Order: sequence, then structure tokens, then C-alpha cells
Amino acid sequence: MNQLVMRYLLFSACLVALIGCASDYQFLQKTADDISCADKIKPTHLSTAWYTTSVDVYDKHISGLLLIKNMPDSSVRVVFTNEAGVTFFDFGFLLDGTFKVYSIVSQLKKKAVIQTLRKDFELILGIPFRQGMIERWEGNEQVFFGVKQKKETAYFITSKDCASLRNIELGSMRKRKVSVQVVGSYPSPEGFEITHLLFDMKLKLTYLLKE
Amino acid sequence: MWKMQFYRKVDKAQRMKNMKVKDFIVMRRRRIGIALMFFLFAHSSFAQYPTYKAVSDLTAFKKQFSTESAKVSSINSTFVQEKILTALTEKITSEGKFWFKRSNKVKIEYTKPFRYVMTMNGDKMKVKDDQKESTINVKSNKLFQQINRIMVDCVQGTILDSKDFTSKVFENDKTYLLEMTPSSKSLREFFQTIVLVVEKKDYTVKSIEMNEPSGDKTVISFFNKKINESIGDEVFAL
Repeated sequence: MNQLVMRYLLFSACLVALIGCASDYQFLQKTADDISCADKIKPTHLSTAWYTTSVDVYDKHISGLLLIKNMPDSSVRVVFTNEAGVTFFDFGFLLDGTFKVYSIVSQLKKKAVIQTLRKDFELILGIPFRQGMIERWEGNEQVFFGVKQKKETAYFITSKDCASLRNIELGSMRKRKVSVQVVGSYPSPEGFEITHLLFDMKLKLTYLLKE
Repeated sequence: MWKMQFYRKVDKAQRMKNMKVKDFIVMRRRRIGIALMFFLFAHSSFAQYPTYKAVSDLTAFKKQFSTESAKVSSINSTFVQEKILTALTEKITSEGKFWFKRSNKVKIEYTKPFRYVMTMNGDKMKVKDDQKESTINVKSNKLFQQINRIMVDCVQGTILDSKDFTSKVFENDKTYLLEMTPSSKSLREFFQTIVLVVEKKDYTVKSIEMNEPSGDKTVISFFNKKINESIGDEVFAL
């Protein structure tokens, strides 16, 4: 009886381990490149705009206004303020790929927070897709175009007919890390919903029509 | 040979002459620069607020400000807020409604171009945006407590008694200008100065300018002020 229980436990543990190790991207099949489709839908430029923004991290909620501004030197500035006007952070994404923190309040001045926000904004600004080889995969009626980073791959996802950009995503070899749902189309989308899949964090950006 | 020596001497003399002229010009520019810097330093406060002069008797002003402000039991007004990002040459304008009821009750409702409501009632504060409504116990958060205190002190006329700021007061024909510099490190992170413009006729706040260390600023200007009209407590319900 004890042996049976032990075998069952061992089998269950192996099954859990196998399921745990299974890649989120195992359904994808590598295919030949399709430069014309990639060039058509790849998100590489956002117009200057204000967005109403909410950030939910675990049970904490912050809202405010986010400015994405294209500067004359071709860098992009991302500034987040609360509704009453107090600036929480001001980030710069320079043309040579350098990232600069112009200002950040002490409550957010933590390496992990800055890096998380940096990667999120790089995805919606399409920075990973500006350089590097774009590879193509297919699966579940979707086409994934990906550019490999150091430890991760940044994807932009479309349908088989290459009609429009569906999602942007960041993943490691096995795990999906960040999913960005794009509402509308580049360079002036109506909004973004950025969901972190390995921990509880969500950012929602809605285009703000200035009156 | 003697010709070459002669020309060398003439050339050297010419260069010396040129140097003297250059030195003279540089020295004169430096003197003008120093004089200009001294002048600007000596008049810095007035240059910043050109139509204002310093209030001579600060103690008397504080007393009068406190007395006159105490007569204001409620304010109902509209406001326009401008957030100016100086380095980015960007500006966003929003507007809404403002209510104040003595004591410790403030409600700010942004209506354009986004909706956002902030209600302060005693030690509690409610914030409502498009996504969520949350109530905060101000006492549990020192920063919220300070910001809450500033808002109420500004409107109630007790800001000059606040230990959170050092103040300078200026005046012109129609208004007083209160320049407040935060004393605490936590507030200095957000504000370099807060400048209040107060109407002489009724001692109510005309505008609040919040200057950030980065050079960015937010200016809130109040319009259509109704003073001491009845406002129900339900406006500030949390």
C-alpha cells in the first residue's frame, strides 16, 4: 500500500515538474521570414500624445497622466504625473538605445521598478523591433515576429493574413512575461493594456483627447 | 637681413598692440558681467515678481490674513489647471469644480479632459478615477497628511503658520503673493516653491502655483468664486 502511495506521489511530482517546464511557446513553429508583413505591422513609432493611465500592482492603485513625446533629437520622453500635476517620473529613451532617468520620486526609485517600467515602455515604443533580426513563427492561427534580446524575446503578433497588429509580448525561452494589448493602430493607438504574467501588475493607458 | 629683423620687430609690436586691445575688451566685458550679476542678485526677488514689492510688516500681515480668512466659511468655485513641462515645451490644461467648507472639508473634481475626484474630509480622503474608487486614511500616510494639510491651510488662511514652509510675502494693488519654500526633505522632493496669490478684497486664493525642482510647474487658477454660500455636507461624503 505504502509503495503504491509513493509511486503515485512520484508520478504526480514528475507530472507537475513536466507541466511546469512546458514552454508557453511550444505551439509555435519556426517558419521562413516574411519581411513585407513584418515591415507592415511592426510597431516602431508612436505619435506624441497624452494618455490617462492607471497602474495596479498587487493591491496598490495609482492613476495619472502619461505623456509620450517625440523630441527634436529623435529621442522619446515618457513622463508620468498625477492628475494634480505632481511628476512621478520622467524617462528618456535615446536614439542610440540608451535609457535615461531624468527624474523619479523616491517612492518609486528602486532598480526593479525602474527596469520593469523601462521594459514596458520599450515594448510599446517598439524599441526592440528597431534593430536586430526579425524571426517568424506560426501557431494557433497567429503569426509571431520576434527579435531576440539578451535573455528574452520581444514579439509582435498578427493574424495569418497580416491584417493588423494584435499584441506585443515579451517572453523568456519558456515563459510569457508581459503581454501588451494594443487598442487601435500605430502610430496613434487609442490605448494599451500591459499585463505582467509572472506577477500581479497591470498598466492601462487610454488616449486622452485634449479639449 | 636687417629688413627681416625690422619686419619681425614691427610684427611683434603689432601683435602686442592687438593683445592689449583684446585684453581691454575681455576685461571690460568681465566688469560689465560682474556688475550685471550683482544687480540681478540684488534684485532677484523683485525680478521674479516684477509687479510686486515686499510686505514690510509681516507680523501684521499674518494676523490680518488669519483674521480675514477666518471669515470665509465656504467656497464654491470653478478652476483651470495648467501643467507646464518646461523642458519638453508641453502643456496640458484641465478644468473642474472646487468646494471648501470649514473646517477640513475640500473637494476637487476634474471634469475636462478627464474625470477625477479627490475628496478630503477630516482625516479621510477619497480618490475616484475612471477605474477605481479608494478611501485613504490620511493619518496612515505622512505624505498624504502633509499634502492634505497644505490644501486646507492654503484655503483656510493658516498656511503662514505652517511649520512645513518658510514664507516671503509680496504685494501689489490688488493681490498679495505668498512664496512658500518647503522645509522638510519629503516636500522639497516635490516642490521647490509654492506660490499663492491672494485677493486683497476678500483674502481668498486667486491662484496656486506649484514649482517643481525640475523646473516644471502646475498653476491652478480659481474662477466664479461663491463665498460663504451654503454647501451641504453630502458634497464631501466619503
